Amino acid sequence: MADDSLLNEMQELRDRVTGITGAAVASRDGLIIKADVDDVNPDNLAALAAAWLGVAQRMASEAGQGLLREAVTRSSGGYVAIYAVGRTAVLLLTGDEGLDIGRLHRESRSSVENIEAVLASAPATPGIFRQLG
Amino acid sequence: MATGDPADAVTDPVLRESLTSSAAVGLTGVLQVIGDPGGTVYLSGGEIIGIKTPGAPSLEVLVLKSGRVPEDGWEAAFSAAAAGTTMSAELITRGLIGAGELEALLRTAVADALFVLACGYVDQCRPEPGPVSVLLPLDPPAEAAWLLAEAERRMNALAAIPGLTGYQRARVQPAPGVVPADLILGGGRDELLALANGRRTPRDLAFALGRGVYATTLELGRMQHEGLLVTTSHRAPPSSLATPQASTAPASTAPASTAPAKTVRAEPAPATSEPANSEPVADHEPAEPAAASEPAPPAEATNGDRPGGHGLTRRRRGRHGDDAGADMSMLLRLLRPRSSGD
Repeated sequence: MADDSLLNEMQELRDRVTGITGAAVASRDGLIIKADVDDVNPDNLAALAAAWLGVAQRMASEAGQGLLREAVTRSSGGYVAIYAVGRTAVLLLTGDEGLDIGRLHRESRSSVENIEAVLASAPATPGIFRQLG
Repeated sequence: MATGDPADAVTDPVLRESLTSSAAVGLTGVLQVIGDPGGTVYLSGGEIIGIKTPGAPSLEVLVLKSGRVPEDGWEAAFSAAAAGTTMSAELITRGLIGAGELEALLRTAVADALFVLACGYVDQCRPEPGPVSVLLPLDPPAEAAWLLAEAERRMNALAAIPGLTGYQRARVQPAPGVVPADLILGGGRDELLALANGRRTPRDLAFALGRGVYATTLELGRMQHEGLLVTTSHRAPPSSLATPQASTAPASTAPASTAPAKTVRAEPAPATSEPANSEPVADHEPAEPAAASEPAPPAEATNGDRPGGHGLTRRRRGRHGDDAGADMSMLLRLLRPRSSGD
């Protein structure tokens, strides 16, 4: 099931990269598709991720730097990173202060591709996805 | 396997050799430890002044997460230090922490970080002589031999706890019937139990609470032994390490960029006396007792595929390799208004 496949992808990425604390996939219009997070509101994350992705892509374009690969915020308590998943979704990751950002860049690419494939194979209705309890 | 025999718990030999030879030649620079979690050891005159690794909390995390130093105070000290003084001096003169406590905490953080590197997986170590910049250098620095001995002592202590296996990757949660809210355990255990929700490894809990990884793991091990906690799952190794030949990153355009596994790379600089290819060591992860249920050790997998490459030891992760990460780190360091401690 697409639902489980998305969760597996997010959990595998969390396994592979030291310091990832949570992950969420949201639609480009800001609705949560699937979340694997702890102590944060996935709906708010989804809305912000979609808006942020749009701004970041515009920034990359405006600066003449081509395709956006990722956008990252770094705070005193950790990181948030987003990745465009095709043209329809966004992958958001949260990490603690020790997040291995170099490894994240390497490992996230295959996850993004896999998530894109899962979403492409699923019916377009967001309602088929259920947010993780 | 950590079967309870302390003799089994030994530091990764590649790390040991590299650190020992770096100390012997009095390296000033960094020792890049490529692996999982991997990290960077900062040396001055062959002694260790700092270690940065995703596997262990820096001093900044230790003092901020634990509440020992308030965040606004830290930020103010960092801003002032950026103007020309040192972070240590700023923290001390502002009364945020005592000189003795700072040194003790730094020493603890460095020992904890080396412990984490020592019981992790080390692919290779690369000495890079040059100027070293550490936000909070350990002063006086720590000797490599002492740190290695300390790491081994810690690994032995954990190996002696019955039933504690695969702790580097284990995710823990309360045992069935244990309700954290109903218990008052004291000794820092309640906080651990409250956060042990099956999502976090000992390393994650250490970061969340601002404690050392060793101390956290030791306590978790005891709690597991007492039936308070159980291990729910284990983190998988990074795909790039577990299956290097199937890495998602292209093998780069340079044919020489593929590397044999587990080598101590010989640098042109006299930073190490090791040969380009040290003997691969099959049992490189002795403190990873859960190895039986995990994929084959990367060293073995890679040895079969890449017997050649003598004298051409390079990092193997191609164009998305560590260079990208290093550049990103540099960019962050240059741009950021504030910094994490090293």
